[in-house]
Amino acid sequence: MRSKTFVFVSLLVLASMLLAACQPAAPEKVVETVVVEKEGQTVVVTATPEEAVAEKKSIRLNLGPGDVPTLDPALATDTSSIQVLWEIMMGLTRQDEVTNEVQPALAKSWDISEDGKTYTFHLRDDIYWVKYDAVKEEVVQVMDCQETPAPRKVTANDIYYGMLRTLKPETGSNYAYVLAFAVEGASDYNNGKTDDPATVGVKVIDDTTLEIKFVEPAAYNAAIAGMWVAYPQPSWLIDGDDCTEAQGDRWTETGFNQGIGPYVLKEWVHDSFITVVKNPFWPADVASVPQPKIDEVTWTMLDETAAFAEYETGNIDAAAVPLADIDRVKADPELSAQLTIAPNLCTYYYGFNTKAPVVDDVRVRRALSMAIDRQALIDNVTKGEQVPAQWFSRPGLAGAPTLESHPDLGIKSDAEAAKKELQSYLDEKGVTADSLDITLMFNTSSAHQKIAEAIQQMWKDTLGVNVKLVNQEWAVYLETIRSDQTPQIYRLGWCPDYADANNFIREVFAVNGSANPDKNSDGEPDGGINWKNEDFEAKVREAAKELDPVKRVELYAEAEEMLVVDAAAIAPIYWYTRVTVTKPYVTRTFGSAGQESVDKWDIDMAAKGQ
Amino acid sequence: MGRYVARRLIYLFVVLFAVSAITFGLMHAVPGGPFDKEKALPAEIIRNLEKRYHLDEPLLNQYLRYVKEVFVPEFSTTKFSSNFEDDALFKFKIGGVYVKWMNFGPSYASRSRTVNDIFRQQLPISIQLGLMALLVAIIIGMPLGIIAALKQNTIFDYISMSVAIFGVSVPVIILGPVLIWIFAVTLKWLPATGWGSKPPYLLGFLPTSMGWNFFKYAIMPPVALGLASSAIIARLTRASLLQVVREDYVRTARAKGLQERLVITRHALKNSLIPVVTILGPMFAALVTGTFVTETVFGIPGMGKYFVISITNRDYPVIMGTILLYAVFLVIANLIVDILYAYLDPRIRYD
Repeated sequence: MRSKTFVFVSLLVLASMLLAACQPAAPEKVVETVVVEKEGQTVVVTATPEEAVAEKKSIRLNLGPGDVPTLDPALATDTSSIQVLWEIMMGLTRQDEVTNEVQPALAKSWDISEDGKTYTFHLRDDIYWVKYDAVKEEVVQVMDCQETPAPRKVTANDIYYGMLRTLKPETGSNYAYVLAFAVEGASDYNNGKTDDPATVGVKVIDDTTLEIKFVEPAAYNAAIAGMWVAYPQPSWLIDGDDCTEAQGDRWTETGFNQGIGPYVLKEWVHDSFITVVKNPFWPADVASVPQPKIDEVTWTMLDETAAFAEYETGNIDAAAVPLADIDRVKADPELSAQLTIAPNLCTYYYGFNTKAPVVDDVRVRRALSMAIDRQALIDNVTKGEQVPAQWFSRPGLAGAPTLESHPDLGIKSDAEAAKKELQSYLDEKGVTADSLDITLMFNTSSAHQKIAEAIQQMWKDTLGVNVKLVNQEWAVYLETIRSDQTPQIYRLGWCPDYADANNFIREVFAVNGSANPDKNSDGEPDGGINWKNEDFEAKVREAAKELDPVKRVELYAEAEEMLVVDAAAIAPIYWYTRVTVTKPYVTRTFGSAGQESVDKWDIDMAAKGQ
Repeated sequence: MGRYVARRLIYLFVVLFAVSAITFGLMHAVPGGPFDKEKALPAEIIRNLEKRYHLDEPLLNQYLRYVKEVFVPEFSTTKFSSNFEDDALFKFKIGGVYVKWMNFGPSYASRSRTVNDIFRQQLPISIQLGLMALLVAIIIGMPLGIIAALKQNTIFDYISMSVAIFGVSVPVIILGPVLIWIFAVTLKWLPATGWGSKPPYLLGFLPTSMGWNFFKYAIMPPVALGLASSAIIARLTRASLLQVVREDYVRTARAKGLQERLVITRHALKNSLIPVVTILGPMFAALVTGTFVTETVFGIPGMGKYFVISITNRDYPVIMGTILLYAVFLVIANLIVDILYAYLDPRIRYD
């Protein structure tokens, strides 16, 4: 037994030598060393004394596995980061999380010039920069460097600084391209053609007035001005000033972070959880963002299955239902009462490489698309009550047609019509269905595999076509489907960056869109769906500029018809839903574009205690 | 022995250079890059990103830059900034000089973190979990193996080996959720997910408090993780002990009239440990550097997932960092195993 002790002692010593100096650079306050602790009933002293009397309301939610990649608005790309930023930061405008209507936020109002390109935003002057003070255990205002320090308000300069920092090439922001495409002069500044910030169409008129010149007089300009890449950023904290030490890349960490949203970051324990607390300085009269009712929100970073187990033990108040548990939840009288299936504005589709053999004929593509029994797929495989997709732009997006307004638009599952389309192709070529050589590729994943196998079987049963299934590892796959090696049929999904049809049909399928790349910039696509149609290009450009909402929807409807029926360049499969369970004591909204507005939620602590 | 250890430590550096060069070459040879996303990025954006991370330079320059950042200490008379370029695993001040050493680079996927942060904050958790799992494995595995060997072909042998087979064949991905279902969801005795310690750590890797608030999180995961390893240890102990008890020196010991208990503990057991210790080395390295499935099932914020997702993300610095880390642990663990041989079997000499 002595030898075993020796193994341990020697390994411990070695490991400690390796790690002894690895303490975090910034001395952190040692708090209770419990990662997942039950909500304490300690009363947080906030700036509004009347709050101190009331019982503290706290809620626990889950963001999904893995650390939140960043809380820097310039660098955020994923839903977890954007969700947290949604609560601790604020843009000029805010899209309602349910209806996706653009509402005033930091900007009280805005004027649009005659040509529809220049927007003058009038900012509120009662929003303060705030941070969480761990020593005082309360949210405090950030003070400026004057002799008698005054609280820092959010000004047009902060937004200007934020947008320019996002665009600066050295920042290396992924989503800078949204601003680069939309704002005048932003593209040249972002790709380094000029390093003069004055060439970018963003101008500070005074502390509460900001002017943005857009490239197009587009309907979604106001939405883009409210995106996270255009959030204000604290220059004094990032670059330093007379009374603030520069935190550079570390400015978003616990202890440094400053925000302007309805909540304030309290603690970010990487890979584990993020806690935000109510901002007592948030004004009462912002229509789109009310003063929060819940005092503290904790987001855990758990895998779906683990989070659902925590929901069942009562430690998480709302969670997604894993596919494997959907049937059980539906059958359980208690859980089924807590179940909500809400729309999620994403689309799952199969793209056709319209220049690849066999599928270069529109009849084959249309036949394959119509032969997919989408409802059967949803009922038996995906099970989340998704909606059979008839076109690409998910209904619910601004500008997108809906099933109520356009019940017959797009493509529908129709076995007979599919057979007829294929027969006409077979007759012309003089071949048989089972001799067609078609490959469907997807990225390696059991969920995609199941869907592909079901659809493969449908194609075999309905059309007699034998489609081969191939899968590739994710990063390899992404390269393949954007190259001249793009397989005949491939799978992808799309979710909104800003909830507008432009972000779907145009930014994905117009030439040089995400799934129709033009790598050598000759105006001809060379990967993805490999499809170019001048009428389609003109139509989506026209729709972007159209300000009459009804006409705009019609234009997008026409463009969709071209994409999914006339050319059948893609087979839309289903529109996503979110299957969630929420404890009965929580009053909530269901965000459709990826973010939840927890500031609008409430929790009945008396009912929770029972 | 001292010379042997010194030689092995030099050999460690050679191994690390080889591992880093091969890993670097392989990860750049694989198709797909860190900035290939479901939403294709425009070429200009990718150019900015590649410039930010020096990926636009020739591969050899990139490799040399990496080696320099990791191995060569930097000195400065002014304080290093908080930017990632100036980050390092070791940052300290001697006299008036600021020193930084070992910068493993930023993560491309977690834009607000560096590989050094992951080592500092996630590795300690994996070490805590791994050590406890190893302890569980040894505590369950060795007695099972010993009983099975001493009572060979009896009901004890069959029961012990059934337990071992069960341990090997029920993976954590099944056992984990079952344990959670029983002890967290139904009985509510233990928390379903999470871990009871967070930075800063004692000595860099130990939790600062070891009460129930720590251990209630540290019961199910080490058991689930340790059970599979315990099965391996049990089977190995059994086989090895069965062989040793047939050796001449054991027969001699018995012939001397030594008590059976002393024969086993003093002579047979010590020698039978050699194969077991051999496997403990790699097992230790594998357990303490993070275990993807266990950490995911129990929501433990350890290193495990970085080994997996860094490759999916083509997050080059994290791939390099995790693989080098594993290599260091493996080589050092094997070195310790080799030293232990000499204690277990006096016939083994290293000179």
